[in-house]
Amino acid sequence: MSHDQALERILPLTSTTFHVLVSLAGGARHGYGIAQEVEELTDGTIVMGPGTLYGTLKRMLANELIAEAENPGDDGLHTERRRYYEITALGRSALSAESDRLLRAARVAQERLSS
Amino acid sequence: MNDPMRSFYRVLLALYPSRFRERYAADLLQTFDDRRREARFSGLLGGLRLLFFLLTDFVVSMPMALERTDRSGGDGIMNDFLQDLRFSVRMLLKNPMFTVAAVVTLALGIGLNTATYTAVRNLLLAPLPGAEEPDRLVQMYRRWPGLEYGANSIPHYQDVRDRSGDVFENVAAWQFMPMALSADGRSERILGMVVSANFFQTYGVTPVHGRAFIPGEEDTGPGAHPVVVLGHSFWLTRFGGDPGAVGSSLVLNGDPYRIVGVAPPDFGGPMSVADTPLYVPIMMLGQIAPRIDLLEARGSNSFTTVGRLRDGATLERAEEVMASVLVQLREEYPSSYEEQLGTTLVLQSEAGIHPSFGSTQGAMSAVIMAVVGLLLLIACVNVANLFLARARDRRHEMGVRLSLGASRGRIVRQLLTESLMFALVAGVAGLGLAKLATGLLAGFRPPIDGPWRFDFSMDGSVLAFTFLVSVAAGVVFGMAPALQAARSDTVAAVKGEGGGTGGRSRTSSVLVMAQMALSLLLLISSGLFLRSLQSAMEIDPGFEDPSSLVMASFDPGLQGYEQEETQAFFDRIAEQVTALPEVSSVTYTNDVPLSLGSSDTSLDIPDYEFAENERRNAFYAMVREGYFETMGIELVEGRTYTRADDADGAPVLIVNQRFAERFWPGESAVGKTVNDRTVVGVVETGKYNSLGEDPAEFMYYPQRSAYRSEMTLVARTAGEPEAVLPRIREVVRANDPNLPIYDVRTMETHMGTALLPARLAGSVLGIFGLLGLTLAGVGIYGVMAYSVSQRRRELGIRVALGAERASVLKLVVGEGMRLAVVGAVIGLIAAFGATRLLQGLLYNVGATDPVAFVGVPAVLLSVAALAVYLPARRAASVDPNRVLKAE
Repeated sequence: MSHDQALERILPLTSTTFHVLVSLAGGARHGYGIAQEVEELTDGTIVMGPGTLYGTLKRMLANELIAEAENPGDDGLHTERRRYYEITALGRSALSAESDRLLRAARVAQERLSS
Repeated sequence: MNDPMRSFYRVLLALYPSRFRERYAADLLQTFDDRRREARFSGLLGGLRLLFFLLTDFVVSMPMALERTDRSGGDGIMNDFLQDLRFSVRMLLKNPMFTVAAVVTLALGIGLNTATYTAVRNLLLAPLPGAEEPDRLVQMYRRWPGLEYGANSIPHYQDVRDRSGDVFENVAAWQFMPMALSADGRSERILGMVVSANFFQTYGVTPVHGRAFIPGEEDTGPGAHPVVVLGHSFWLTRFGGDPGAVGSSLVLNGDPYRIVGVAPPDFGGPMSVADTPLYVPIMMLGQIAPRIDLLEARGSNSFTTVGRLRDGATLERAEEVMASVLVQLREEYPSSYEEQLGTTLVLQSEAGIHPSFGSTQGAMSAVIMAVVGLLLLIACVNVANLFLARARDRRHEMGVRLSLGASRGRIVRQLLTESLMFALVAGVAGLGLAKLATGLLAGFRPPIDGPWRFDFSMDGSVLAFTFLVSVAAGVVFGMAPALQAARSDTVAAVKGEGGGTGGRSRTSSVLVMAQMALSLLLLISSGLFLRSLQSAMEIDPGFEDPSSLVMASFDPGLQGYEQEETQAFFDRIAEQVTALPEVSSVTYTNDVPLSLGSSDTSLDIPDYEFAENERRNAFYAMVREGYFETMGIELVEGRTYTRADDADGAPVLIVNQRFAERFWPGESAVGKTVNDRTVVGVVETGKYNSLGEDPAEFMYYPQRSAYRSEMTLVARTAGEPEAVLPRIREVVRANDPNLPIYDVRTMETHMGTALLPARLAGSVLGIFGLLGLTLAGVGIYGVMAYSVSQRRRELGIRVALGAERASVLKLVVGEGMRLAVVGAVIGLIAAFGATRLLQGLLYNVGATDPVAFVGVPAVLLSVAALAVYLPARRAASVDPNRVLKAE
């Protein structure tokens, strides 16, 4: 499957997937870290439970939007047991395409509201 | 760490599919720990919040966890199941004809079972709707020699109520009574209920509007309480559900009654099959039924008495108390209680429609349940056979799946999933069929006058029943093909070979025998019932040519006529109807034959000694002169009545032949004395309550000296009877436009309703039998044809090796028929046993009726012979080369 075909199949992103990608665009994180950042990014509207978190990650891994990353090993307690995730090239393209789409939609909305 | 929330989450985790669990369980638990440390999720309140959070999370994430993200085989049993389900739906849609045939067959079986279960449950097993704690209600009957469930008189009821307070909170009495309801200047006859003042309290029923009767007040002072409580549906239809109806009044038998309350919608009265329009206190009996003084007559037994047991009181204790009450009463009123043997107590929950139907209603419903159960089994065998035939077509597919590494367990599971799917689809269709059937049943009106209501609503227990039946059916018919598939030989299956080399499969042999045996059992049983009904319909009713008789009923007493006015009214109407050109003669009776509800009375015969427990009661009717002539009932001895047999003449009586032979065998009955009356005539014995009854003793009182105001006019016509009916109605209306006239009909219509139960049972059994015969015929043909076609290859080889076609044919037909005959013998033995149990329910037909026991097997064996012969001939005539090449 080519890069573009894969993109087409994935887009548009669900808002949970979108925010997970945004959090990972800032660097590799472990599961709980992702959940915390997503909650922050969305002002607490998306609070992911363990099942939803790993269900989403499992799906995103399968779609190759993210990949497992090396454990940086300096995260305090239990570090060796935590799995880290990072964004893939496909993930970056998907995130950029989705944010363009959202921007266009937002611009149209604001133009109409101000006119 | 000993956190109960954490243990709970571990349990929850175990429910995820194994693949998801293996990969992420540690991370999930880790995240849980992280969350638990957050401020909002700590402490007790936080723990609860977390619990809610985790449960929602679990449900939301399950589909993601189930999702297959790779293509490498199974993902736990849930996923297998989903896959099986998807596959099953595909298979169902791929063979629509097969699906329709199997689903329709099964749906019929399941639907009939559901409908029958609903009817039996609602009629016989369900507690009284609307009553509070119906398990504590007890019906009471006076027991006499030969009469187990005798009704109660008002004085008797009052004494029982006042003396049994130890065991009963309340004791109520009720009876249906005809009343004339007047509105807008017109009168109509309705069947209302006369009840004791504590009636609603006893049943634990609170009116939705207004109040109930007041015990202690409205059960004293005869005639002092013209009040009425309306039934809910009567209130809806007549008063449009207006709460303002309470406080207004309505007119019964010419007197105004104040409406004080409205019964709740779920309570239709003390009988679950009737919907009572209105309730009047027994103190008004003098106004409702002026002809008899029921309030005073200790011997006038017509009320049903019901008590509510006190908390902790048992039926045994109640029986002791009732026995001691009877001892007291016997001392106080020796003549009234001399012959009463005791009191029969029946729990409301065990009474059914009426306890006297007891064993019959139970036995009949057991028979019908058994018959529809058998039908379902036959349907299952048919569908099993369809599945088996299809399993053969799918042999190749199964073989491929087995050799690609699918486990046998997996294949069996796949096939069972398929059959369960089938069964559930059929179950839903069956539920629809059952809804249709019970809808038809609910419209049925019995030929006895009354505010009938049949409630066949289906509730959770019916749904559960249907579900269980469907699942059981699915397992029964799914087992055979699944097991056969599991046994099949991989190599042979992939190569597309037939049933191996061993000839027929054992599964299909068993199916042939089972089909034959079950069909015989079903058809012989229903055949016997049909024969029994048939012979019941050919019975002589005991009077001449019903087709030219018409009738009409009215009760001038309801309009407040005194006895003399009433008699004069009857005379006038008779005269005017006789004057009609189409009418040849006219008479009156209070009990037209075959009305199902003759009254009976105790006998006093001076020169006859009753043995202990000998039946002492006989049916009777009040008739006017000309009755025997008009009806065409033959006079055997003595004379019939004339106008002179009135209150001023000597007290006389006419009895039937059966009566005369029982009490004065070999002697002339004329001149003998019965109940202080002299027998003046003997007439032929007829049928009085139902055509199926045994000959019964019957007495005819002259109405002119044994007054009744509610009478039925009977006229014999010369022309078209239907045309006379409106003329009679006109005559009555011209004499009193306000008098309700009812049951205006021809004798044929009347007998039709009398025959209705028999006809209904006959058509239901007939439909079952026909359905059974069709299913059995199709089934036997299918099973036999299939087992022969399995041997095509073997037969081809035999022919190729030089066997004569004729001898091959003989071999196959012989083997097939041997199985059919073995099945038939098993079925005959089972039917022989089963019909012994039915003996008591059959009329005029032996339990070993030759028509049923020879005819049915003959038909079924012919079907079997045809079913084995046709495919065998085809198999034997096929070109051996083609059969052998077909591999």
